[in-house]
Amino acid sequence: MTSVAERDGKAGRMTRPAPLGRRRDLDWIGIPLIAAAGLAAYWLLPEDLALLTRIAASALFVLSLDLVLGYGGIATLGQAAMFGTGAYAAGILAVNWNNDPFAMLAVGGLAGGLLALVTGALILHARGLTLLMLTIAVGQIVQEVANKARDWTGGSDGLSGIDPAPVLGMFRFDMFGHTSYLFALAVLVVGLVVARRIVRSPFGLACRGVSEDPLRISAIGGSPKSYLVVLYAVAGVIAGVAGALTAVTSGIVGLDSTGFSWSAEALVMLVLGGTGRLYGAVIGTAAFMGVHHILAANDPYHWMAFIGLFLIGIVLFLPGGIVSGVERLGGLRRGKEGGA
Amino acid sequence: MTALLEVEGLSKNFGGLQVASDISMTLSAGDRCALIGPNGAGKTTFVNLVTGVIPPSAGTIRLDGRDVTRLSAAERVRLGLIRSFQVARLFKSMTVREHLELAVLQRDRRTFRLFANVARVAGLADEVAELLGSMGLTPVAHTAVGSLAYGQQRLLEIALALAMKPKVLILDEPAAGVPHSESQRILDAIDRLPKDLAVLMIEHDMDLVFRFASSIIVLAQGRLLCSGTAKQIAADPRVREVYLGSRTNAH
Repeated sequence: MTSVAERDGKAGRMTRPAPLGRRRDLDWIGIPLIAAAGLAAYWLLPEDLALLTRIAASALFVLSLDLVLGYGGIATLGQAAMFGTGAYAAGILAVNWNNDPFAMLAVGGLAGGLLALVTGALILHARGLTLLMLTIAVGQIVQEVANKARDWTGGSDGLSGIDPAPVLGMFRFDMFGHTSYLFALAVLVVGLVVARRIVRSPFGLACRGVSEDPLRISAIGGSPKSYLVVLYAVAGVIAGVAGALTAVTSGIVGLDSTGFSWSAEALVMLVLGGTGRLYGAVIGTAAFMGVHHILAANDPYHWMAFIGLFLIGIVLFLPGGIVSGVERLGGLRRGKEGGA
Repeated sequence: MTALLEVEGLSKNFGGLQVASDISMTLSAGDRCALIGPNGAGKTTFVNLVTGVIPPSAGTIRLDGRDVTRLSAAERVRLGLIRSFQVARLFKSMTVREHLELAVLQRDRRTFRLFANVARVAGLADEVAELLGSMGLTPVAHTAVGSLAYGQQRLLEIALALAMKPKVLILDEPAAGVPHSESQRILDAIDRLPKDLAVLMIEHDMDLVFRFASSIIVLAQGRLLCSGTAKQIAADPRVREVYLGSRTNAH
C-alpha cells in the first residue's frame, strides 16, 4: 500500500493535456516523408544503391522488431529466425519453382509468420530474461536446421543462384540496382503503412495494454498471451517479407541471416532510432548502416570503435533514440518526463 | 429477486495459515453491500477469491446461477464480474480515452481487429463520450493517465469497470488515498451507479459505508463475523469489539 503522503503527492501533480492532435500530424507526414527521402536518396546517391537497398530491406526487418518489442514489450534476440526463414523460403522457391518477386515475398512472409506463430505459442508464456533465452534458442535451432539441410539451403556456402523475374513482367533487376532499390523502397513503404494501421487498430491498443500491464488486461477480460502470440506472428510475417526482400534484391541467402548477431544488430538499430515509434526503426537503420558505411570506407581499422562511440553518445544524450530527439527539437511531444 | 452472486463456504489456506474460512454471502440485483473488517481480516483475500485471482481451497462461487469457481479471472470478467482496484491500476502511458476505448472493445470482443481504425469503430466514440461525461472526465480525455490527479485516476477506475457493463461490481476502497477535496466526486459517482447493478464495496471509512450500504458484511480473521442491515451492524456489540482500536489505525 502506498502511504498517504505518496498518494497526496500524486494527487497534487499538475494535469497536462497530451499533445495528441499534433502528434497525429507528425504520424501522418512520417510515411510520405520517408518515401520522399528514399526517392531523394535515389537521385542523390546513385553510386550507393546497393547500400540503400540493404538499408530499406533491413529497415523493414527492424520495423518488425519494433512491433514485437516496442508495442508488445516482448524481449527478443531471435527475430532473425523469422527473417532468415523468410529469406530461405523465398530463395528455395525461386531456385526450384517460381521466381516471381511477389510470389517470393508472399512465401517468405508466410514462412516467417508460421514460424513465429508456432514458436510464439510455445514460448510467449515466459517473460523477461527467460523469454530472451528462449528466443535465442529458437534462432539457434533455425540456424542449425538451415545449416544441416544443405541440399535445400546450401548450408554454410549459402543459397545462391536466386534470379528473380522482372517485377510485374516489366522491370528487370538490372546490374546497377535501380529496380532493386525502388522495389525495396516500395515494399518498405507498404510495410510501414500496414504496421501503422495495426498499431492504431483495436488490436494495437490492446497490445500496448499488454506491454504495460498484462494482469490489468486479464482484469478487463482479455488474454495477454493470445495478443502477444498474434502480434509475434504478424511481426513474423513482416520479418519474413524483409528476408524475402533481401533474397530478391541480393540474390543470395546466407546462414548469418538467421543468426544471433543479426538479431542483436537489429535491436541496436531499433534502440538507436527509438522504440515504439515505427519511424524510429527506419531512421535507426539508416543512421546505423549509413554511419557504418562511411566509417568503414574512411577508416578501415578503427571504424568499430567509432560506431561504439556513436552508439554510446546516442544512448547517453538521447535515451529515447534519434526520433525522440527530433520530436524534442520540434516541441512536438512536450515531454514524456511527466508521464513516467 | 434472483441472486447474481452466490458465495458458499469459501475457504482458503496457505499451508497451515487459514486466510478465509467458510464464508458465504449472496448479492442480488440492486444490492448495495459493504464488506468491512479490521486490517488483516481477509477482505482483499476474499475479493481475490471471488474474482478468481487466487483459487479457493474449498467452496463454490456462482455468478448469475452459473458455477464459476473453476473459471479464470478473465472468464469471470467476461461473464460480468468486474472489480476496481484498491490502488488505481492503470496503463500509465495511455490516455483516459484510450483506457475506455480498450475496455469497451475488449467487452465486445473486437480487439482482434488488426486493420480497423479505433477512431472509426462504429458506436465506440459515442459510448466512450458518455462514459467520460458520466464521470466528469471529459476535460482530461486526452491526458496520459500517468499525469492525472489521483482522484481522477480513481474515477477512471470506476468508469473502466462500468465500461465493461458489469452485473456484479466490486469496488475495493474506491476513495482510498483521495484527498477530501476530491473525494466528493467519487461519492457522487458511486451514488449514480446503475440501479440494477449488484455492488459490493470494501471500505474502511465508516461514514462512506453508512452512506452507501443497505447491507453490511463484517469479516474478522478470515471469518464471517456477522451480516445484516446497516442499522443492525451499527448496533452489534461484536462489531464494536473487533473494530474499535483497529479502526483508528487505519486513518
